Amino acid sequence: MPVRRVRRRYLRFRVASERRYRGQEVADAVQRGVLLLYGVHGISQIEPVLIEFDEDEQTGILRCSHLHLRRMRASLAYMTSIGGSAASIHVVKVAGTIKALRSSRTALKTP
Amino acid sequence: MRRFIDLHLKPPVGGTDELELMLRFAAETGYSGVAASDRTLPQTLRSLCTDLGLDLINRVDLRPRSARELTASLRRVRRRFEVVAVDCRSKAVARQAAKDHRVDLLDFSASISTRARVWFDRQEAVLASGANCAYEINASDLLRLGPAAGGRLLSIMRREIGNARRHGVPVVVSSGADSRLLMREPRGLVALLDLVDVDEEEGLGMVSSVPWRMVEANRGKLSPGFVAPGVRVVEGDAR
Repeated sequence: MPVRRVRRRYLRFRVASERRYRGQEVADAVQRGVLLLYGVHGISQIEPVLIEFDEDEQTGILRCSHLHLRRMRASLAYMTSIGGSAASIHVVKVAGTIKALRSSRTALKTP
Repeated sequence: MRRFIDLHLKPPVGGTDELELMLRFAAETGYSGVAASDRTLPQTLRSLCTDLGLDLINRVDLRPRSARELTASLRRVRRRFEVVAVDCRSKAVARQAAKDHRVDLLDFSASISTRARVWFDRQEAVLASGANCAYEINASDLLRLGPAAGGRLLSIMRREIGNARRHGVPVVVSSGADSRLLMREPRGLVALLDLVDVDEEEGLGMVSSVPWRMVEANRGKLSPGFVAPGVRVVEGDAR
């Protein structure tokens, strides 16, 4: 029997802070952010996953359920710290495939 | 294409560098206009806004202690600023601000104890709808509070937005940020409105069309030929 493929959204984001973070710290902070705002039930629906994180540029790609993109954005916007130090996460671009995000990556670099 | 506007940046005292970062961030994340409150921006930052393609709106935040002080302040500032916001710290000030046509935005305290006393209640909404002033939500109020207090503030905001909707009062969403880390991209601000049951389309209007309409109307009123709404001088007297 054919199974409908799960649709997802990929978000390119940038971390703004005085200090630099490792990928694991960002991944933990994102999970905690979703958990804080929407709880266990929310995290099971949103399914946030950190796909990659560039520690030099402090940018990364997150994946979430396409039905709950707004909740994912809200969780990121609500975050004010990562690992105990003040930080914020800004979504730069949203796409339906990782390929689309990666192809636009060069245009997103800060001048 | 939508033109986003952040109507409330609070320039940090003596923090020109931080304000420059805030302006750069606003331009980078897709804002077309920003309003900086209270302070006259240095010329360097004004030219930076022009270079970044940001429309700089001048705004004043009034913090009167009484209704009488509010009317006196309005008389002084209305013709000098494009946006006039009133920080409603007491019920008397809130009521006077809501019924005064010279007020553009009503701000309420982020402190839960004050907000529980002075908030955008039904009577306030009725007065505001008659005077055509808008109710402002500052995202930074929410971001600065912890989860417990934040939850209580969300509950109050949800009721305030309900009152605004019922009486047709426009709602404006701003960052209210005094640092770059408290600013959010336009769609991030709109996503936060999910917490107060505002859908995406309505939320997008709160950071784009609603504030722009207000700014454009006020710019029209402040322009030299303005006489009254719908009446303006198009040609001087030749005699």
